[in-house]
Amino acid sequence: MGGYLAKRALLALAVAVTVSLVNFTMVLLSGDIAVSIAGPTATYEQLERIRRDLGLDQPIVVQYLRWLGNAVRGDFGDSLFYRTPVADLILERLPVTLTLGISAIVFTILVAIPLGVVAALRPNSWIDRAALSLAVAGQAMPSFWFGLMLIVLFSVMFPILPPSGAESWEYFIMPTVVLGYSAMPAVMRLTRSGMIEVLTSDYIRTAYAKGLRHFKVLFKHALRNAVIPVVSLAAVQFGYMLAGSIIVESIFALHGTGFLAWEAMKTADLPVVQAILFVFSLFYIVLTFLSDMLNAWLDPRIRIG
Amino acid sequence: MTVQVANAAPATAAKSGPGFWRRAWRHRGLMIGLTIVAVVVAIAILAPFLTGKDPYYQDLLKRLKPPVWGGGSWDNPLGTDNLGRDYLTRLLYGSRISLLIGIAAALVAGLIGTVLGITAGYFGGRIDLAVTFLISVRLSMPVVLAALAVVSLIGGSLVVVIAVIGFLNWDRFAVVMRSATLQVRDLDYVTAARSVGCSNTRILLTEILPNIASQLIVVATLEMAHAILLEAALSFLGLGVKPPLPSWGLMVAEGKNHLLFEPWLVAIPGSALFLLLLAINLVGDGVRDVTAPDGR
Amino acid sequence: MAIRSIRQGGTAIAAAALVALATGSAWAGKKDDTLNIGWSRVVESNDVYFNQGVREGMIVGRLLWDNLVERNPTTGQYEPLLATSYKWVNETTLDLELRQGVKFHNGAAFTAEDVVYTLNWTSNPDNKVAVPIMVNWIKNAEKLGDYSVRINLKQPFPAALEYLNAAIPIYPHEYYAKVGTKGMSEAPVGTGPYTASNVQPGRTITLTKNPNYIVGGPKGTPTIGKIVQRTIAEEQTQVAELLSGRLDWMWNATPDTADNLRKRPNLTVVDGETMRIGFISFNANGTGGANPMQDIRVRKAVAHAIDREGITKALIRGSARVIPSACYPTQFGCAQDIPQYAYDPAKAKALLAEAGFANGLDIDLFGYLDRPHTEAIMNQLRQVGIRPNLQWLQFGPMFAAMQQGKAPFTHLTTGAWSINDVSITLRGSFAGGPWDIARDQQVIDLVLGADKIVDQAKRADLYKQVLTRINEQVYWLPLNTYYITYAFTSELDFTPHPDEVARFYQSKWK
Repeated sequence: MGGYLAKRALLALAVAVTVSLVNFTMVLLSGDIAVSIAGPTATYEQLERIRRDLGLDQPIVVQYLRWLGNAVRGDFGDSLFYRTPVADLILERLPVTLTLGISAIVFTILVAIPLGVVAALRPNSWIDRAALSLAVAGQAMPSFWFGLMLIVLFSVMFPILPPSGAESWEYFIMPTVVLGYSAMPAVMRLTRSGMIEVLTSDYIRTAYAKGLRHFKVLFKHALRNAVIPVVSLAAVQFGYMLAGSIIVESIFALHGTGFLAWEAMKTADLPVVQAILFVFSLFYIVLTFLSDMLNAWLDPRIRIG
Repeated sequence: MTVQVANAAPATAAKSGPGFWRRAWRHRGLMIGLTIVAVVVAIAILAPFLTGKDPYYQDLLKRLKPPVWGGGSWDNPLGTDNLGRDYLTRLLYGSRISLLIGIAAALVAGLIGTVLGITAGYFGGRIDLAVTFLISVRLSMPVVLAALAVVSLIGGSLVVVIAVIGFLNWDRFAVVMRSATLQVRDLDYVTAARSVGCSNTRILLTEILPNIASQLIVVATLEMAHAILLEAALSFLGLGVKPPLPSWGLMVAEGKNHLLFEPWLVAIPGSALFLLLLAINLVGDGVRDVTAPDGR
Repeated sequence: MAIRSIRQGGTAIAAAALVALATGSAWAGKKDDTLNIGWSRVVESNDVYFNQGVREGMIVGRLLWDNLVERNPTTGQYEPLLATSYKWVNETTLDLELRQGVKFHNGAAFTAEDVVYTLNWTSNPDNKVAVPIMVNWIKNAEKLGDYSVRINLKQPFPAALEYLNAAIPIYPHEYYAKVGTKGMSEAPVGTGPYTASNVQPGRTITLTKNPNYIVGGPKGTPTIGKIVQRTIAEEQTQVAELLSGRLDWMWNATPDTADNLRKRPNLTVVDGETMRIGFISFNANGTGGANPMQDIRVRKAVAHAIDREGITKALIRGSARVIPSACYPTQFGCAQDIPQYAYDPAKAKALLAEAGFANGLDIDLFGYLDRPHTEAIMNQLRQVGIRPNLQWLQFGPMFAAMQQGKAPFTHLTTGAWSINDVSITLRGSFAGGPWDIARDQQVIDLVLGADKIVDQAKRADLYKQVLTRINEQVYWLPLNTYYITYAFTSELDFTPHPDEVARFYQSKWK
């Protein structure tokens, strides 16, 4: 396990470095940080001076290394728009995004796993078809459209839920449903196919043959095995959700990290864009690493392979 | 760092032949999906013949006319938008843009992903390691954020949007193609081809590619739907294709400020988008079911 | 299904109980004396000197701080606020007597030190305030006594009082020196009618009535107990909040939304004048490489191709009107009787053909604010053969592109920082400074010349010459005025002003 862990950790680190380089280069090449810093009133000479001062005339790799060196110490520079440290801004807004992300993944799991199990127990029954339709609809539903429709329904036509803000848990209901629904199809399908596979496997048949009770077999044996891949998928989906909350946050006026990223893009606040891309990539890498570890721990065969 | 793919198709080779077509014909979802897609494609091709109007023609005196069922007239069956353009005409022409983006972005992604995936699967070893690493890197990049960042900084246009979406979504192609190639690589006919001295390229093109085509189709449909959805999201945030192009995503975005009082402006293109995405997903699921019946 | 999902969602969140969030909030408006206001624009800093003239920032600024003088929006007179009287010693020296007994929110007494510090610090170019033209006419300020100061000007500047009134609030010098701009943004301290709490820059701020506010000053005595501001990005979300009674005031409702809100019984919808004008700016000078807009015939073709009257009437409606010159009609020096270009597509086509574009041309059009309007313009340009490729950017990048000459023409608006004097626009955009993309020496000389003249009639005449030349050369194509639609609960007594600064300290519950 130790060797496997070290190998995986090293790989994750390599991925983190590469992805941050890609993100860094991408943002650097798409925008002109000197223009953003200098603001609309700068002269050409001022721009040149800023470029020199910031080392923007140096090779990208050199700039990247300097940025990374600061970033690992938690220093992402100052926001050009807010004029405060980027790290502070992100930390301030992370709780909202995390709350949204966690409640969305919990929602997804609470809805998708039971649905997947029920669908797997009765393949091709009406409930299976209903579950699948729900999944297909989830894949086809633009989340901004879903969010707007929910606002029309539950804030205007039947005003039972607040359309914007993050004051208390009621505020997170609609955003949670919208964000969670987008991740549901994948989790539901994987639970279903996993369950079907496990239920038709030899050891479950043996369990039944031994005369174990239906529910006990279902929950103690089948679900536990089917759920292993679902856990790692859920971790990955959670990573996607955090990064994908930008649209949901903008619709429901949740001032989380996604919204901060959106603002930063609008104002060409490149250090913030850089930092958020980095942080979300890191989240994803850590989450996949953890889910790999969990999988390896649950299923020893992986460690060898 | 395992490569995780939500909807990766099971890696079994395609089974074509009469059974395939019979199963396909009986698969209700696939048929419904294909019908809708065919209708949308027909609309896209025949748009100029279905309406005599110009999707760009604005008449500021005829702004925001409701659709017929909301008390409007048959002059503008779906009403008009905030610049007085005929909404039905824009919807019909809009199918072209949405399809174009879906197909073009899936092609870009497919090209990158397939080349990488097949190369990795076929040659294995270090090349495989490098490609797997690349896939991990790609997966770690937050797609929506990265796409938004690039488009917002360099400015959106049809080409930029297609390129960005294509370059950010090749991973699923690569994963599926890699594992499919791995499975096919050592099958008899491939080894046979190799033993008679066929070149690698030739083997890839003539032996391997046709045998994993069905999986390619499944991934392509998913990616097409994904691209259309992503374009719509970009357009919704004002960063997608440029006006006055009538993309459905852009139409939703432009109707956004009328959501509460003229909801049809959002509901109509939104429903069209939903239907098209639903159909494409149904086709993808259907092809998967038909080629690998137990792997939904 | 949706309802079921929501219930499950609710349980999920309640069960998770991840972050301790306060439940039960106060959204009651008049009943608990709290005015809930919302807008979409993010104010980057509550420190007024460090936001790019964002109107919302100025609104909050007026609640938190006071200026030296306050222009009475009805009479146009400058009334004493932190200064009790002022006197021009000569053309470049202004002496002010200050109000005594005023206290900052943190208890510090207001004295001449604060005025001197604020003016000297902000006008020092090293401190890089966001809108330097606001303070760059100040040479320095000196203390004459505990309650009297002298402001020395770099050169005669007749609009000085207007600038002092609009956007030069006085900061507590010890506090500002200690906490800096970041501290001031996060915990603002001023002398103004409201004090700040729960400040999250760019997101929300709570303002509470200042019980020790100046009595008998021109801003009056505040009556509403508490004002809670929230930033809500989407207009339709704001409207949803307003309709559900959780928001009491919003502004910048689009004309179509406004028409619908007018039908609601509990809401008051008012169209307010603003000093904002729309115009198209051309890269006539060819900065950043040759472009078709260097040819005056192409610029004139654009001017003739746009039905300014038609667009303004159909799209902007309300009190908006077409403007003949590149300034707001009430501004000092904003001449109206200058050359115009009538809507004449045939003439536009002829001009294009003459310029060698008989088959039309493809060209980038930049824009940032008023998209339906920009699109309507694009569609009219298409009719004469100019096929614009829209580059829709945010203000910052858009402005940078303009300056670097990447934008052949740009659809812009300016609110002139609410300064009722045409000098603000002309000094900013036509005096050879970094915002000047026309760079016409004749215009530059005229504008700089006018700056130094105290005789108002002569100054007005010079500005007329400038505006005439701008139109003749089509450096700018003036389009229209705007108006702002305010929508608020009918329980609120609120009066809008053309400077776009909502004066909540003068609002009352009915």
